[in-house]
Amino acid sequence: MPRDRPERKHVNNRQPSAVNRRRLVWGAAATTAAVSVAFAVAALDASAAPTPPPPTAVAAEPPRVSNPSPGPEPSTGVGDQPLTAAEVDKARPVAVTPELGASAKDVTGAKGPEYLSSEIVEGGTGREAAFYFYDYRTDELVKQVVDVTAGRVTGSFRAKDMQLPAADREVATALDLVLAAPVGADVKALYTKVTGKPWTSKDQLKVEAHVYRARPADTEARECGRHRCLQLVARVTDGPFVDLNDIIIDLSGRTVVRVK
Amino acid sequence: MNLRNRYLTAATAGALLTLPVATVATPAAFAAPAPACAADALVKETLPNGTTWEMCWRIHKLNGLVLEKVFVSSTRYPQPVQVLNSIAVAQLNVPYDNGETEYNDITDYGFGGELIQTLGGDDCKGGSARVGFDNAPEPKRRALLCVSAEPSGLGYRLENPETNKPPISKQGHDLVLRSISKVGWYEYITEYRFADNGRISARLGATGDLSPGDYTTSDKGWPIGKGSTSYSSNHYHSAFWRVDFNLGGAGMEKVEQYDTKQSGSGNTSAVFKTTKTDVTKEGSFTKVNRRWWRLVSPTSKNKDNHPLSYQLETGANDAYEAHPETTPDVTFTQQKACEQFATGNADPQCGNRKTILDYARDSETMTDPLMWVRVGFHHVPRDEDQSPMLVHWQGFDLTPRDFTEMNRLTPPERGGVNGQPTNG
Repeated sequence: MPRDRPERKHVNNRQPSAVNRRRLVWGAAATTAAVSVAFAVAALDASAAPTPPPPTAVAAEPPRVSNPSPGPEPSTGVGDQPLTAAEVDKARPVAVTPELGASAKDVTGAKGPEYLSSEIVEGGTGREAAFYFYDYRTDELVKQVVDVTAGRVTGSFRAKDMQLPAADREVATALDLVLAAPVGADVKALYTKVTGKPWTSKDQLKVEAHVYRARPADTEARECGRHRCLQLVARVTDGPFVDLNDIIIDLSGRTVVRVK
Repeated sequence: MNLRNRYLTAATAGALLTLPVATVATPAAFAAPAPACAADALVKETLPNGTTWEMCWRIHKLNGLVLEKVFVSSTRYPQPVQVLNSIAVAQLNVPYDNGETEYNDITDYGFGGELIQTLGGDDCKGGSARVGFDNAPEPKRRALLCVSAEPSGLGYRLENPETNKPPISKQGHDLVLRSISKVGWYEYITEYRFADNGRISARLGATGDLSPGDYTTSDKGWPIGKGSTSYSSNHYHSAFWRVDFNLGGAGMEKVEQYDTKQSGSGNTSAVFKTTKTDVTKEGSFTKVNRRWWRLVSPTSKNKDNHPLSYQLETGANDAYEAHPETTPDVTFTQQKACEQFATGNADPQCGNRKTILDYARDSETMTDPLMWVRVGFHHVPRDEDQSPMLVHWQGFDLTPRDFTEMNRLTPPERGGVNGQPTNG
């Protein structure tokens, strides 16, 4: 059965041996804390029971793990390991073929697809990566498979009604659209209500977002799903969350509506 | 997974994983296979009782922590034998009982990328924080995985047959791998515990804070502030894990369901009979009292000539019947590269197969099964959820059944105790 264990503190009631001490250097702070906890427990035991049992014979070995040095940042990954920063820098421009760059539109309306994410193709024979984009001209999710080592596209796929998580620029665009729309005044007023401060700039909100799909009962935002739409999770910068759940931003249609 | 790796023997694959420390030579019969993972992606630790777990880890933008090529060995069984090809969280569905909000945290946000947290504070106290790329659109290499060894309580105990000798008993330990992902106000802990006895526990912890916006009426929430005015909405966390076994390195497992039913009365007590049902075709299944499932190697056997297997054990588990996907407990499907997430699968290369129900719809005969485990937790908030929310857990165990002919920790003095005693 899954054991719903409380968080356990490892109480080390032995001083680390000379052999172990060197291995423990990296965790010196943790060891110190554990020892002080052990003293506290011992004090409690002493007040509750006059003759505590001798601890030596049954003391467990302190469980420790190795702590290898990560080494320098690799430029190329191995096997199914995630794409490195250098690999993404190299392969992402390859993924945007001249045709895709000319035909697609990004979230700002400019030429080129909106870059969403990338991942290694599992079990591939080399370093093969999938780059995902959204084409706002056709409302399609685009997948470009790239042979990272050879620097060429080996597969190209697109589909409608398919959404991946929002990219940072899409979230920022969604907030801009909200602030420029009639509901923007409500958002600014909510900020003032929560913080007691006047609204001065969009930096006052820290926003994440997820893709919104139209629900059967929706009378607004009915295109969402086929269109790329977002719902915001917002918080005052360095402050509390604010509820903007009823605002839906249709990035494909560049409209902002309230649902509920 | 690709068949190329599937047909590696355990011996070869074990050698692959140990190459970074060059303790086992690759058998000459197998010519220079590709390395399983780089040194910084390898976790290989020996627990105090002598059990060694080794595996590769990586971060996927959506799944978060993914473990691959999981092998186990121990003092009594020094040959590393593969258990899992991979395991990962494959969805987290969070609908609120007020009917206003629903999230799919894996496919709408993801546990990797920018949302996986750099370990700090007490996140990895006493453990080793491992560095890797986060699979963000612009990847960064950060401290993302905590590896630690933790006591797990008394592993076994037996009165010593020799007078005046202490009992035969051992403290158990788990090798623990965990990462933390922040999605909105919730923070999720992806945790895997590899016990020295061979058990693997997968669980998801939820902490952070309750939703700031979802307050409702008394029949859908709980008052967590002063008096009885603000009712924090009850909600669900339905988590899915995608589990790909590779028992003994041979793969191609068979799925079996066991049921035990009362079939009459004996002289003293009721008679219960246990029957096996072979699950040969894709489908979804739900627990009833005493029902369980296991994945069985078709070829690899232990020294008692019993096939190697691992058993799924689920515990506390609230099904969410408002969605067909979150109702069954487990779904078995034929392994396919396109089928990565329990719901919300979005791959333009893969057509319209979006959920486990789509994957299983054609009831294909399975030659290489994947196991999708759903574990749900209906969270009724309480005063103690503020703040930060105390971690609540949901998960399941994978328990070895006949993976070794004795248990993995059997001490030498008990090595002759195998089966019905001759004087029994």
